[in-house]
Amino acid sequence: MSEVSSNYFVAAASIAAKLDYATKVAQRLSLTASNARALTLRAGQSAAGFRPLTDAIHRLSDITVSSSKKINAIAAVLSRMAVEKYRSDSALKYFDAVYLQAQGSRHLDSLSDVYERTKLKQKELMTQYQQKIQQLTQELEAVEGELRSAVVLKVLCQIEASQAGATYQDALNNVAENVENIAETIKEQIVFSRQQVAILQ
Amino acid sequence: MKAEKLYENNDHTWIVFGRDEDKPDLIIDTNQYMVTSKKNSLLMDPGGVELFSAMLSAVIKEVPAQKITHLFASHQDPDIISSLGLWDLALTDATLHSPWLWEGYIRHFGMQHIEYEGIPDEGSRLTLDEVVLEFIPAHYLHSSGNFNVYDPKAKILMSGDIGAAMEEPDAPMFVEDFDAHIGKMKMFHQRWMPSNKAKNDWVRRVRQLDIEMMCPQHGRIFRGADVKRFLDWFENLEVGVLGGRR
Repeated sequence: MSEVSSNYFVAAASIAAKLDYATKVAQRLSLTASNARALTLRAGQSAAGFRPLTDAIHRLSDITVSSSKKINAIAAVLSRMAVEKYRSDSALKYFDAVYLQAQGSRHLDSLSDVYERTKLKQKELMTQYQQKIQQLTQELEAVEGELRSAVVLKVLCQIEASQAGATYQDALNNVAENVENIAETIKEQIVFSRQQVAILQ
Repeated sequence: MKAEKLYENNDHTWIVFGRDEDKPDLIIDTNQYMVTSKKNSLLMDPGGVELFSAMLSAVIKEVPAQKITHLFASHQDPDIISSLGLWDLALTDATLHSPWLWEGYIRHFGMQHIEYEGIPDEGSRLTLDEVVLEFIPAHYLHSSGNFNVYDPKAKILMSGDIGAAMEEPDAPMFVEDFDAHIGKMKMFHQRWMPSNKAKNDWVRRVRQLDIEMMCPQHGRIFRGADVKRFLDWFENLEVGVLGGRR
């Protein structure tokens, strides 16, 4: 896993990148579900119990793809907001330096409106920024919750595979392994993203 | 940041800002110029991000921030205009005059409030109350879209990188010994200016202007006879030459 970033706008961009990757991985889950469905059709009655599980894998894939895309979009907005916030923060830093350097200047007051406006903008940005972070946290928690079902799915797939007969058993076990591996890879992106959220706050 | 008045009459003043004592060592020293008329100020080549606080502090010693209604960027370089994103937050109602060629590039410095007025290749004029300033083409000297600012009344030419010299941060503001100054200008002009044709065309056009002061963006200001000395020297200089490091 890559090192957690210590810079907030890099952190937001990293989440967007991780979730973009998670979306691609989740699409592989969909492919796994389609392959499993084809396999159960070939296996016929001996794999009848596996069929409903392929629907569950599809559902997990759909939810993960859609959540990952959503989180990716939120992170992209956050990344832009973080840069804007950085601009505002640094402008205030430069203005503060002007107040120090130009003490006693006869036109120093002419900066007051600009300073107040920038400060207000910074405050508004901060509020919107916090709301987005909250939204991001909720989405990450939701997708993490969904991914927990992957463990159960794997076990159920293994049980059904054991009843499918020797010809298809390995292939169906392979589906079970795939579900777990893919879910684990997505989870890694989510865990990393949640660590990054801590930097954003 | 030092400020020095170059010209003053009833209509307007010219001020040069530069020789910033607190400038970080590794960034090139720059001169910024401001023309102030009755109700408006034009800030020329306002400088880079690193200079912004010092520059704004120096400016508001002279005029209120709201009076700066116009900015001019001779070309797109960072030492000229990378502070734009901060001026964009500091100024309430301002227009940036800069080569049309660079609009899409200069906007990368951040520009949400300031209006961009592209200067056409042949040049244009700006009227500040009763003062008329001319944007004189200086393309390929060094940038491919590049302008000087000429004030016929004050007889001042803000020449951007033309006449620039690599100086120590505490160097005097005016050229005192032209021959001694050549060594500080030669490599800069040979290396940065790519075209003898563009250079000679500029010299020919500028010779027709009545100039008492030629004000570059780096180094020292040329006064009186030194302006002609510079034009003669520049005309005879071969540019577009790969020179060594200083």
